Amino acid sequence: MTIPEAEPSGLTASEAAKRNDLATRKPYIAEKLRNIAAMEERGEISPIIRLEKSYLCNFQCTHCSAEYYMDRHIEKVFKIKDERRKIDLEDIRRLSREADELGLARFVITGGEPLVMKDFDEVVAAIDPDRHYIITDTNGWFLDLERARHLKSIGVEKVQLSLDSMIEAEHDTFRNKPGSYKRVMRAIDASLEAGLNLILSTVLVRGRGRTEEFRSMCEFAKRKGIGLYVSYAKPTGSCTEHPEFVITKEDADIVRELEKDYPVFTHMTPSYGSYKGCITVKGIITVTSTAEVTPCPYIDFSLGNLRETPLKEVLARGMRNPWLGPHRPDCLIGEDPKFIRIHTEKTKGVTHLPLPWGQGFSDNDSLLDD
Amino acid sequence: MAEVSDMPLFDDFGRCVPGAARSPAHPRSRRYFTLLQPKIDYVASHARLLSCLGAGTTLDAAAFEARAASILSRLESDPRTAAIAHGVAVPFILPRLTIDDMGQSLDHRFLPAVREAFEGTYPDYRFANHHRGGLEGRTGIQPESRHARLVAAMSRSELVGIYFPALSEYSLPAALEQVTALPEQFLLAGGVDTCAALISAPGLLLRTDSYPPLLWLGALSSEQPAMGYHFEAYGFNLTFNRRPHLGLAAEYWSCGLTVLEDG
Repeated sequence: MTIPEAEPSGLTASEAAKRNDLATRKPYIAEKLRNIAAMEERGEISPIIRLEKSYLCNFQCTHCSAEYYMDRHIEKVFKIKDERRKIDLEDIRRLSREADELGLARFVITGGEPLVMKDFDEVVAAIDPDRHYIITDTNGWFLDLERARHLKSIGVEKVQLSLDSMIEAEHDTFRNKPGSYKRVMRAIDASLEAGLNLILSTVLVRGRGRTEEFRSMCEFAKRKGIGLYVSYAKPTGSCTEHPEFVITKEDADIVRELEKDYPVFTHMTPSYGSYKGCITVKGIITVTSTAEVTPCPYIDFSLGNLRETPLKEVLARGMRNPWLGPHRPDCLIGEDPKFIRIHTEKTKGVTHLPLPWGQGFSDNDSLLDD
Repeated sequence: MAEVSDMPLFDDFGRCVPGAARSPAHPRSRRYFTLLQPKIDYVASHARLLSCLGAGTTLDAAAFEARAASILSRLESDPRTAAIAHGVAVPFILPRLTIDDMGQSLDHRFLPAVREAFEGTYPDYRFANHHRGGLEGRTGIQPESRHARLVAAMSRSELVGIYFPALSEYSLPAALEQVTALPEQFLLAGGVDTCAALISAPGLLLRTDSYPPLLWLGALSSEQPAMGYHFEAYGFNLTFNRRPHLGLAAEYWSCGLTVLEDG
């Protein structure tokens, strides 16, 4: 067993091959990706932008972090409608330009389930697949070979496909969708056949890392030659009702050990020669359907609204925040009990998430109580 | 010239109170990223330092223990410095060695010795050096760090010292500012002493229940002023790397102080 030490370029052979392929097809994007290491050395950041244009979803998963943003939840629980203005294609074009000017290179279309969006193709075009590396999340339900080929043809580079157990019945139960496991398996083959980069995404709940099932998923990913992204269950969204899902350091360390033998990684695994630790703001932001920017998919505190504040200032707010900016090795919302408590208390019963800038995060935040 | 007051220089947990730092340092810590005092088995520690680093040829384990105890006792006898003993303290021995190129010494002698000590003690885990391109000719000593005194003393004889990761949540510039205000016996820890401490106690950064801090080699300069070198745990594994510090403080970051026998 070895921890992969860096190649001279900082990239593994597999990463380098993918970059070379991209450079021949999309040199502008490849150049931006190449610049990220130098940006980080200068203290600049290049977060992936997760775009939540719509929360429509054909699933209702046990652990969904976006459930509390969905109209179905707001209407069912609070008996109100979300009247806030939603982002449109022009907002996305403006965001794409602002991001490009800052050297940002990557967008993830997420939701909700992106592949139920009627305007998915227009969203891809608005992001601009010649200027940004575009990834889509999906539960795989609608991802057959024809759709996979179409995604590739419109400029999507990568698919992140959710798989929550190698045991069919467990996956379907966790996802509350009979037949969903079979659709994921179909989507894996379709994505590979269509030439899309593919990673599997799975949620790690407490204790799962030690199970035979999890080990078999690692084996499956290795056999298929695809990465397995492990997302810790966070105490937000639907998971708020399942505090028993929240992992311990032992769970995180089990995954770190598995990285030696399997193509498994978390958001904090060093990648592309970068050792960021927790990626809040530094490696990821989420733009919600109301143009609010949150520092990770699971923190429901906004750093600002893009209709009121330029992206550059929103990112600066995040980087000067004592919870978000400084380097740290653990997952802030998944592992730090104090931050989890603050987040849970402030978001409890809130009808419209995320909490605006000033109500969740502010420039007065402190790690200490006073 | 150092300003020395009668106030205790360390808090109840052995952290150096950042009174003299003008650059970023957290005034107080919530103690989220912490180290536990490793159990020091002087016989095993001496054996590791000898076999991995070639240090300890002129003294045995009993002498190592006695000489380390005298350092602690000296610190504890002064009310200003006594509380440093409430924190983590790792005794070490440095070999007699003339260092012309600090990077070369780290690359060829000290980092391989850390690897041997760590992997020898924890055969299931690994030491990884993620720094690309090597350190030879790329690192020196920060002039304000007092670390040059340690290097000079190494050229004369083997040294017994104690490593204290007492500058938690200091930026690297703040650590340099703070050390100049401490009594003369305190040196900012750099590469060779931090390596020796990790050979003496290979499990220093190995925690299963919570996260330990990253340890900067604060006395070392880098080719770029905003970059620094450090040790860091990755799960149960130990890593060495460089990264930008940008003159900022983080609750995850710590620098160390070294106190030598002769002060």
